[in-house]
Amino acid sequence: MKYFKNFIKPYLIWSFLIIVIPIAMIFLYAFTTSGNNLLTVSFTFDNFRRIAESVYVAVFFKSIKLGLITVVACLFLGYTFAFIISRFKESVQDILILIVTIPMWINLLLRTYAWMSILSYNGIMNSLLMKIGLPPIFDIYTDYAVIIGLICNFLPFMIIPIHTSLSKMDKSLIEASYDLGATPIQTFFKVTLKLSMPGVINGSIMVFLLSISTFVIPKLLGGGQYVLIGNLIENQFISVGDWNFGSAISLILAVIILIAVRLTKKFDRNEV
Amino acid sequence: MLKRLNKLPSYLYIALCFAFFYLPIIVTIIFSFNESKSLTHFTGFSLRWYGELIKNQDVMSAVYVSLSIAIIATAISTVLGTLTAIGLSDCRKILREWTLTVNDIPIMNPEIVTAIGLMLLFSSLKMEKGYLTMLLAHICFCTPYVITSVYPKVRELDKNIANAAMDLGATPWQALTKVIIPILKPGIFAGILLAFTMSIDDFVISYFVSGNGVMNISIIVYNMTKRVNPTINALSTLLILVIVIILLIVNLLPLIKKKKSKVFNRILAGGFCLIFFFTAFSYFNSSTTKVLKVYNAGEYIDTELITKFEEEYNCSVVYETFDSNESMYTKLLSGEEYDIIIPSDYMIERLIKEDFLQEIDWSLIPNKDNLIPEIMDKSFDPGNKYTVPYFWGNVGILYDTTVVEEADLTGWEILRNPKYNGKIYMYDSERDSMMVALKALGYSMNTTNRNEIYQAYEWLLKQKELVDPIYVGDEVIDNMISGNKAMAVVYSGDASYIITENPNLDYFAPVEGTNMWYDAMVLTKFCEDTDLAHEFMNFMLDEENALLNTDTVGYAGYTTNAFEEMKNTTYEGVSAYEPRTGNEKDEIFGYQDPETKKYFSELWTKVKSH
Repeated sequence: MKYFKNFIKPYLIWSFLIIVIPIAMIFLYAFTTSGNNLLTVSFTFDNFRRIAESVYVAVFFKSIKLGLITVVACLFLGYTFAFIISRFKESVQDILILIVTIPMWINLLLRTYAWMSILSYNGIMNSLLMKIGLPPIFDIYTDYAVIIGLICNFLPFMIIPIHTSLSKMDKSLIEASYDLGATPIQTFFKVTLKLSMPGVINGSIMVFLLSISTFVIPKLLGGGQYVLIGNLIENQFISVGDWNFGSAISLILAVIILIAVRLTKKFDRNEV
Repeated sequence: MLKRLNKLPSYLYIALCFAFFYLPIIVTIIFSFNESKSLTHFTGFSLRWYGELIKNQDVMSAVYVSLSIAIIATAISTVLGTLTAIGLSDCRKILREWTLTVNDIPIMNPEIVTAIGLMLLFSSLKMEKGYLTMLLAHICFCTPYVITSVYPKVRELDKNIANAAMDLGATPWQALTKVIIPILKPGIFAGILLAFTMSIDDFVISYFVSGNGVMNISIIVYNMTKRVNPTINALSTLLILVIVIILLIVNLLPLIKKKKSKVFNRILAGGFCLIFFFTAFSYFNSSTTKVLKVYNAGEYIDTELITKFEEEYNCSVVYETFDSNESMYTKLLSGEEYDIIIPSDYMIERLIKEDFLQEIDWSLIPNKDNLIPEIMDKSFDPGNKYTVPYFWGNVGILYDTTVVEEADLTGWEILRNPKYNGKIYMYDSERDSMMVALKALGYSMNTTNRNEIYQAYEWLLKQKELVDPIYVGDEVIDNMISGNKAMAVVYSGDASYIITENPNLDYFAPVEGTNMWYDAMVLTKFCEDTDLAHEFMNFMLDEENALLNTDTVGYAGYTTNAFEEMKNTTYEGVSAYEPRTGNEKDEIFGYQDPETKKYFSELWTKVKSH
């Protein structure tokens, strides 16, 4: 397909202008002290040294943990979902995927507000429970409220790539597996799952990225004590106005994500 | 043979998942019919918010901006991303690795970083912020999603397939459109869905790269957080309705479906023409008469007054809103220019210090005598050289009279009374929370003494141990109306609104002193048509207009008549409405030097994540 290799050129130029240059600016901020202009740049590692303090390290760990929980939950729920709908007729599949996506077109803040009124102590769920004579059990500003919010918002980002992988899988491979005497379980793990690995990996990375840098959902459903990397960065850029420290934190975040992506892809290569 | 899935459980699973996805949507729809403003408490059926929606021009134009940007950005990103993905499979390895890495950056970076990066880029290129910059930014973060969806498909593609097509006489273009793209379709479809979803829901990036009155739905919603009301729910309901209707038409009419591709292309092409036309139209349309750019906090003015001003003075007002003083300041730093801004005390002090403002010519404001003397001549601007006062108030404790005992209402220390463990909301802002602690300890809230600040930090840590408070933002308003907790630290203006909605509550400002805050209109140094700007400020001080404004916003009014009138009608008997005056320990926030600010923020992060 050598005819098409030039297709990459417009994006090369575009991405250099609009992605590389801005990120280079952020990079510059991370390694400089605040309050200088371009003429008197003074380089420093102080911004990174500050991150090593225990309070920030704890925030990083909390975010990573929350990201992983969300990924694992979305993976189980999303894979099952994508697997089931990949069995439907193709036209039905498209509609089902659309139905999964539509809720995402409603503003995130509004959806989160809706979860607040569903789960809060005087909220909808608890009043339903009380009507049938049960004690109220739900409340917001809890761990599970945050996780429910994250899953509800990010599950489609897991379902779509997995479904893309599953939907175009060559079904005859599965038949071949059965013909060669594999049990359904063996077939699933050795054939179906392996063939859908690109989707699983893409989906996991996307959900991890989204949930590790989010701050609106944890803030509303978990309360202000849910300090995550996203909040930290937002706070530095907006309210403290220390862009240098903010840039340094986001660089570290980028490194963490790069490592996670590399690890997953390596896992992919070993497996397939 | 394919293993047949057990049908019933799998249908049930899908139904459950859909219920999970749609539960918040259904709640959103239900509350669009709510009689009152609350998003958590359904009081009765009404179509009031649909009426407000149609009247609200900002929302309608935001719908247009959101949809047109989402469609155009998705279209461009899809083409760009698909071509890139196809090209990637065949280019040199080093180029491929480079592109894929660069491509991951917008997905990986937290939105705020991308936003600041793009903001810096556009400002350094001296591009005027508006529709175009927002569109470019959306293409910037949408394309990577298309590439990540399409590229795996390209990798799976048999490379000989295109060659085979061309051996059989197809031109490269035919090979592309008839062979390759149809194979990639599932990936492209996924890419389109992701790109559209990301674009339509984006807030942070859009906020920082747009300007000149261009707002999308998210920006409107985020700026409403102070007083979220179901107008946006009504809007969402209508959007869902439209989407469902389109889906029904496209999928249920088999006739249309058979000719789908052609009809579809025509519809799409027609749609794009329309959008470009509208865009061009709105651009040409915007260059009329005199223009005044006003920048105010969200939900902080009666927007009908703006229309009235435009008519009376034959000018057009570009009205934009911010969600906090700090994000307003960040935007000013990025080079945005406004004529009139309405910030708060400490921010005004900072703007004066950093030479952003020009002096007010009071002789051009004959309505100045209407102002309440009490709110003039404050420490942040002695003699009102730069400021024309706007709404004002203080900070105090809102409490549930059915739970909290009068005897406990001694001062800020009640916020650490173990009796109310788990029943307290603190305000999630470092300065306000530190203020509470500093005042409880008897210090000035503007102290720069590290020792005093550290003691305040320990006060807050101890509070966390004793009563485990929840730190909330403006959600506190809805939460207290629903009566979820017994006590909350709130602004007086919000308190009076909450009390009118939930009469079980009452408000008190501890005698140890509290934060008095004053917002004011200021004139920036960028303002050229200063006559028009003064007319606007004078117009806002007009008795009748001030009353309308105070009635809508609900905070303590800035003119004597409006203030008294509201006190004796809507807020009769609501003590929170009238901010306390004459307590020597009350203070106004002052400008904070960067070092103290960093220290505050670090301690506050520690308190919260302790």
